[in-house]
Parts: sequence; C-alpha cells; structure tokens
Amino acid sequence: MSPTAAHASLLAAGAVPHFPPAVRSDAAAGALAADLARTDAAAEARAAVPPLAAAAITVRYGRRTAVDAVSLALSEGTVYALLGRNGAGKSSLVRCLLGQQRPAAGRALLFGRDAWRHRASLMAQVGVVPEQPDAPPGATARRLARFCRPLYPHWDDAAFEGRLRRFGVPTDLPFGRLSRGQQGHVALALALAARPRLLILDDPTLGLDAVARRAFFEELIDELADRGTTVLIATHDLAAIERIADRAGILAGGRLVLDEDLEGLKQRCRRIWLADAAAAPATALDGFAPLARVTGDWGVETIVAAYDEERFRAFQDSAAGAGARVGSLDLEEIFIALTGAGADPLESAGAGGPR
Amino acid sequence: MKAAFPIDPSDPRPIWRQIEENVRHLVASGALRPSTSLPSVRELARGLAVNPATVAKAYQRLTEAGVLAVRRGDGTYVASAPPALSAAQLHERLHAEALRYASLAATLGATVQQATAALESAWRAFDADRGAAAKTAVPPGDPA
Repeated sequence: MSPTAAHASLLAAGAVPHFPPAVRSDAAAGALAADLARTDAAAEARAAVPPLAAAAITVRYGRRTAVDAVSLALSEGTVYALLGRNGAGKSSLVRCLLGQQRPAAGRALLFGRDAWRHRASLMAQVGVVPEQPDAPPGATARRLARFCRPLYPHWDDAAFEGRLRRFGVPTDLPFGRLSRGQQGHVALALALAARPRLLILDDPTLGLDAVARRAFFEELIDELADRGTTVLIATHDLAAIERIADRAGILAGGRLVLDEDLEGLKQRCRRIWLADAAAAPATALDGFAPLARVTGDWGVETIVAAYDEERFRAFQDSAAGAGARVGSLDLEEIFIALTGAGADPLESAGAGGPR
Repeated sequence: MKAAFPIDPSDPRPIWRQIEENVRHLVASGALRPSTSLPSVRELARGLAVNPATVAKAYQRLTEAGVLAVRRGDGTYVASAPPALSAAQLHERLHAEALRYASLAATLGATVQQATAALESAWRAFDADRGAAAKTAVPPGDPA
C-alpha cells in the first residue's frame, strides 16, 4: 500500500484529520513523513480499541430490567454470536449498540466512541442487517442503493449488484414485492456494499428458507475471507453459526450468563454417561459442574460444564463398575443446557413455583 | 470437495484441527498426490460453511509441517516430498500422538486390547485406501 493510500484509508477511518492533498505535495515532504509517523501510531492505537464494546449496559422498560449490566468487547476480526431465548434482551442490547436506544446505565462503544452520542458519524463504518428489513415498499433494490450511496464513504456499487446477482434477487422489483428471503438478501447486500469495518446482524436469517439461509452465510463467509470484518450476529441459527463464530455470548433474563471462545466452551461442556450410576457415589460428578441429568434404561446421562480429561480418568479408575463414558455436545445442546427451563433465571424467578 | 473434508460440529476437536487431520489423512493415503492443488481458503470455507480464518489456520499449520506448500500467487499445493524425519523425531511424533489416542481410548472405557485392535484395523483400512488410490490415477486438482 502506498503511503498516500495508507493515509487515505486511515483518513476515511477517522484516525487523522483531513487536509487537502495539495498541501502534502513535494514541498511538504517533511510534513508528510511526520504525518505518516503519526498515522502509524494512530493505526496501532486503533488496533487496541475494540470495534465494539458494551460497558455495563442496562436497559429498563418501566420496572422491568431487559438488559442487566452487560459488558463485552470484540477484538478486531472476531465473529461473535449473541445467543439467547426470545425476550432475553438481545434486541434491546443490539439497539443500544447501534445508538438507537440510550441505555438507562452504561455505555455502548463503537471504535471507542459512544454509540448514542456519535451515532450519525459511527454508522458510516457499520453495516447493519435488522431483524425486520425495513424499506419503502415501492423502492427497488437499485433505488435503495442510490439512496444509501452518499451516506457511506466506501460504497461499492459493483459489489452490491454482484451480490444481488448471486442471490438471484431482481434489482428492478419493488422491495414490498420481494419474498422474505429476498428482502434479507437485499439488506445484507446493502450492509456489505458500504464496506463496513463492523457488521451487526440482528437475527438476519429469521424466516429464511434453507436455501436462502445457506446463500446468506456463504456471502458472509466470502466477506470474512476478503475483508476480515468484525461481526456481531444475534441469531437462533445455532447449527450454522457454530461453524463460523469464534466466540459466543448467551443472554438469559437480561444478563450475559456466558461470554467465551467456542473452542474452550466445547472442550469443557460435555456429556458423561454412567451405565450403572448405582456403582458410583451420587455426588461423583459434582466436580464437573453438572447442569442437567437424564435417566434412561441405558443409564444416566449428565451434561457437565467443567469437563476435565485427567479428572475424568481418575474418576473412571475410582468407580470402574459405573461404566463411565464421555461424549461431546454441539452448540445447540450446550445452549439448551445453559438456558433451558431449569437454568432460565426468568422462570426460576417465580419463587415457590415447581422446579 | 465436501465429501473429502467432512466436518463434524459436535466433534470436540476444534474445526481447524479436523481440517488439518483430514488433509493429513488424504495426503498420507495418497488420495491427494504431491503437487495436487488444494481449494483456496475462501473456496473451502464456503464449501464447509466455516470461518475462513479456521481454514487458513489449518493450511498454515500444514504448511509449517511441510505437508503443504504455498506457491506465490498460485495457491496451496501438496508438498512434493513428505517431510523427512530422523528416527528420533519419528519416535517422538508417534509417541505424542499415541499418548493422545491412548488417553482418548481410556476415557471411552476401552481396554488396551480393544485400542490396539482398533489401531490395527484402521491401519489395514488405510492400506487398502492407499492401494486403491495408487490404482486409480487421480487427476490433479480433483482429490474426489
């Protein structure tokens, strides 16, 4: 990348103040060198600032707390899956992160700046796919692109048209006459055409059929391959996102009950079968932090949150007659174990209710 | 490409390790011959519906191990010769992997006889694969 190009990209990112190129021509070589040294420092400083962070965000609706002191931070290039049951607070949190809603307490920070106070300037660097793609029903995809273009400094028309072609969405049909899947594809194409540094997707595949969903994730994967964009995706599509996300957060009853790399999560969350549970003490698996237990004819299966191979082998040696075996869980099983009826703070909050 | 690189999301091994081990197996069994080109990171990520960074990590590890080689501007290939190991290195590698296998077998509740039998039967299946791969000429770029 030429110094000028490097400067231009930093400029666009808001890292250095803008001044006309003429000032930097030959006579100002010394000034340019000084400027580049400064942009290097700015680039380093920028790398350390998370593209997205929540600092103890709380959202209340009347007396109900929808989001309860949620803190998280995404490092550059992370794909973060925000999971939670309906009503867990995902959409409220996402609205705060987009600067659309002011938290009752705490702050949403995009590139280190307050999302609520700097929404207008920050949104030029953020691609958004809302839960319900919303556009004037009479506008064609091409007209929507024309409308968005002047708002984004890096707008890429060719990429927009290319994506719609791959999705098979007609550019000359009014938005209101497109299918739900096509509307979702238009929303993603608009979000990516802005060449954003950060992509925020709120349940983007809701209501999409399997083919449309697959196409959606393929475009997202291409975007990651080409640009390494940082992504926050709120989703219920656990099977798809567990192959793509680096890290997951689970909201339950407004609280972030989990915020962890998927690799580690899958190492520690496991199922342990005991062919003959009677041969082991009832508390034998307590050290593995059991979450749920199912008893069947074939024995007892326990979902544990703190599996450890060495400890498990010691347990096998000590209770050889129990016939203990270990298996793995997919993200959906982990999610259910962590947020299912027994684990849901919303439901257990009804004091005295049957558990 | 998909059939050659099966990924199981409920496998506790990280996805990059699954890709790494699948490629190692395909190269070792002869299904992927020296100089065969591999799909690009982007292509394989798309095919497997996984994060491109995951594929890139697997490719990078395989390149560092000498299984794959990168030609500038021309993608990733199966390295022309398998990495030469000294007897000591070979022993060390085998022992490390055997330790992992033994530990897995033990956690599953297998006996040493069962574990050894499984290893021998895997070896035979692998030999058969290798024989089959040697007979059918695989055109470059088409490991299927």
